[in-house]
Amino acid sequence: MRDATLANGMRIIVWPVHDIPNVALYNWVRAGSRNEAPGATGLAHFFEHMMFNGTSHHPPGHFDRLMEAEGGANNAFTTDDVTVYQDWFPASGLELVLDLESDRVARLAFTPEVIESERGVVASERRLRVEDNSHGLLAEQVQASAFVAHPYRFPTIGWPADIESWRLEDLQAFYRTYYAPNNLTLTLAGDVDPERAIASVRRFFESIPAQAPPPPVRAVEPEQVCERRVSIRRKAQTPLLQCAYKAPRAADPRAPAVSLLLSALVEGDASRLHRALVEDRQLAIEVSGHWQEGFDPGLLWLSLTLPEGADPEEARRALDAELAAVAADGVTEAELERARNLATVGLWKKLATIDGKAQMLGEYEVFHGHWSRLFDAPARIAEVSTEELRAVAEEILDPRRRTVGVLVPSSPPSASTAS
Amino acid sequence: MTVRVPEYERLSLGNGVALVLMPRRDVPLVTFNAVLRGGGSCDPASRPGVASLVAGLLEKGAGERDAYAFADVVEGVGGSFGAGAGAETINVRGQFLARDQQLMLELLADALLRPLLQEEELQELAARQVELIKAAKGSDPAELIGTYGRAFLFGQHPYGWPVFGSEASLTAIDREDVRRYYDGQFGAERLILVLAGDIDADLLARMAAESFSRWPRTCTPLPVLARPRPLRERRVLLVDFPESAQTYFWIGNVGVDKRYPRRAALDLVNTLFGGRFTSLLNTELRIRSGLSYGARSSFARGSVPGEFSLRSFAQTGNTGRALELALRTLDRLRSDGVTREMLDSARAYTLGQYPLGLETAADWAAMLAEIELYGLGRGYIDDYPAQLAAVGVAEAQAVIEEAFPRADSVAIVTIGDAARIEGALEGYGLVSHMALTDPEFSGGWASGDENRP
Repeated sequence: MRDATLANGMRIIVWPVHDIPNVALYNWVRAGSRNEAPGATGLAHFFEHMMFNGTSHHPPGHFDRLMEAEGGANNAFTTDDVTVYQDWFPASGLELVLDLESDRVARLAFTPEVIESERGVVASERRLRVEDNSHGLLAEQVQASAFVAHPYRFPTIGWPADIESWRLEDLQAFYRTYYAPNNLTLTLAGDVDPERAIASVRRFFESIPAQAPPPPVRAVEPEQVCERRVSIRRKAQTPLLQCAYKAPRAADPRAPAVSLLLSALVEGDASRLHRALVEDRQLAIEVSGHWQEGFDPGLLWLSLTLPEGADPEEARRALDAELAAVAADGVTEAELERARNLATVGLWKKLATIDGKAQMLGEYEVFHGHWSRLFDAPARIAEVSTEELRAVAEEILDPRRRTVGVLVPSSPPSASTAS
Repeated sequence: MTVRVPEYERLSLGNGVALVLMPRRDVPLVTFNAVLRGGGSCDPASRPGVASLVAGLLEKGAGERDAYAFADVVEGVGGSFGAGAGAETINVRGQFLARDQQLMLELLADALLRPLLQEEELQELAARQVELIKAAKGSDPAELIGTYGRAFLFGQHPYGWPVFGSEASLTAIDREDVRRYYDGQFGAERLILVLAGDIDADLLARMAAESFSRWPRTCTPLPVLARPRPLRERRVLLVDFPESAQTYFWIGNVGVDKRYPRRAALDLVNTLFGGRFTSLLNTELRIRSGLSYGARSSFARGSVPGEFSLRSFAQTGNTGRALELALRTLDRLRSDGVTREMLDSARAYTLGQYPLGLETAADWAAMLAEIELYGLGRGYIDDYPAQLAAVGVAEAQAVIEEAFPRADSVAIVTIGDAARIEGALEGYGLVSHMALTDPEFSGGWASGDENRP
């Protein structure tokens, strides 16, 4: 494995793997909805779309057409913290992909007609993920209520009125600030020679000038002192319950304990909450969880899908009883061992593909300070004790530091069937 | 450089079990893929979902372990174990650390040979499945559109049955149905077992022979599916989803089967039509018009022809425009065909992308099972690049005529706000109506009585 820092501050990490004749490339941009402001939410995500829509060298559509004709496919995603561009291509396509990737970092064009068309695409994506989706609709409200000061309250896809109103100047300013080489990390895994790959990256990227570092996100979310609640009535058949607890940032030293806690609670049929709420008491039909591991302290989510006609309050009380027990007594050594083993297998599954390797390298480099920390992960997982896990549970699973969201069907099922 | 099938060993136990072993040492994981021929097409016609429930019950208690003990031992070592049904198979898959490979095989043998199939577990599983369907209707109606589409297109043919059951059928299924399925449809000659990854091949071959070589054959012959008849006119199903912000649509007709001889040309033409970002369909519905977040097409190919389908969605007020554009693009494929340059681009794309699906031991376990199931031979992979290279414009045109439907003979399924889109659907053919909350996926079927068994 090799890494390098270009003169303009851009980072590159390469993991050579020769199992298949392909390469996975991830370009990590340190810009997400965390870097947005009221009135222009969703900008980072919109930018993700615009990055495929033409440069001064290549008209709109060329990026995808050239890449696909060379055997490559691509995608991208935006989170609260980062925007990530992904390419998967045959090794022979490396030069073309680097050419295209550097071109859109150096010379993005902003064509007014394309901006308007892309607004429509993003609005459609929002309708798919939020407006027509009970989980998405509720999660958006919970997240917006969980933070009062920090921009983590913004939905990554943006508020509808903002999607309608971005201006060209907003896009240009965002591009200058965040799409500078000193704000990028490129991770590559696959059928390449690391030295030659780094030399190629230099050739395409090193001439792009660095910019002043983006302004730091200064907002610090104040300590949450009381539980917040949101409730939505919507045409649906089944109720939902979501609890979002304030949780540490990704780089927190307790991160392995937080991951293992979440796993012990919700991963698999033998997990604490699945067994108690889905199997034993049949109060829920599905339990899931997610920790938003970001640059700043974020949320640990527990989500329950309830059966038709269920009382969300009863489910919440049962959930609270289970969580209180874990906060007080922790989990058993067997439960911890189970979580450790699941984490180990999960890591190997990721590392079985070039895509997983490029992704993991980037996550550790961007969120944990250095890619090499990926290789400490097994030892850090092994070190977590039941007491550490209990202490983390006690701190995080505090009802005063959570936001509870409930979605209840707006009409009884018989009435909606008749309509 | 391309991908070739790695070395593997295929053994046939005396009772008909096909055992495939593929050692592959990149990560310290072992994987199994057990495929049992049968699946949803062996369900009673009036009660789809039996095979799926049997699959779900395999890990809900087997051998000496009840459901909790089974999950405890699997997850306790970090493993995964899951089963599901397809139209023609039950599929059991799992992955464990290499150190646990003996345990893995022991658990699999228990699940297949000694499942408890308990009444209480069945009731719980069926009730939960009913609720999961209701939840999906509120959270991701697009996820279910294929199920509505197949029910409408294939009617009474088993490909039209919802494999995971409907709210109505799941409520009706009892332990007798489950028992009858297991007793009649589980047996040695139906099993393809693939073991791959960081395995001790000799040890596992020995263990598998000990576990499975005395398993009796099934007493029921595998049903031979009739070839579904394509729809010869245009029909519309409108599934009412009141207050929805968008209309989700699916357009399909009967396509081709797994052994379709022009598979390479089919892959290339579908790549061009709706299989990648710059496809004709996505270019029209997303890139040029901004009407939709995306549009795709695909072929489902089984022992007999499954469906060609295209799927997209658009804001409620744009339903008519989006449907029209999708149908016009389908028409244009037939009238304009594809050019040499388009084929070259699709060829490079397909060659560049297919190795990514054949990277891990789990990928190969799935592919080897498929090759065995449909009798495709290793040429299915090894000859693929040469077959792709040989596809010309004439063969592509032949595929368009053989496999893609004409825009005037398709089933159109829409999930959307009926009161607001009814008008937009006028003129596309006879419209059948149902509500998203209906406990079945079928509201009549498009081809009348043609696909009755």
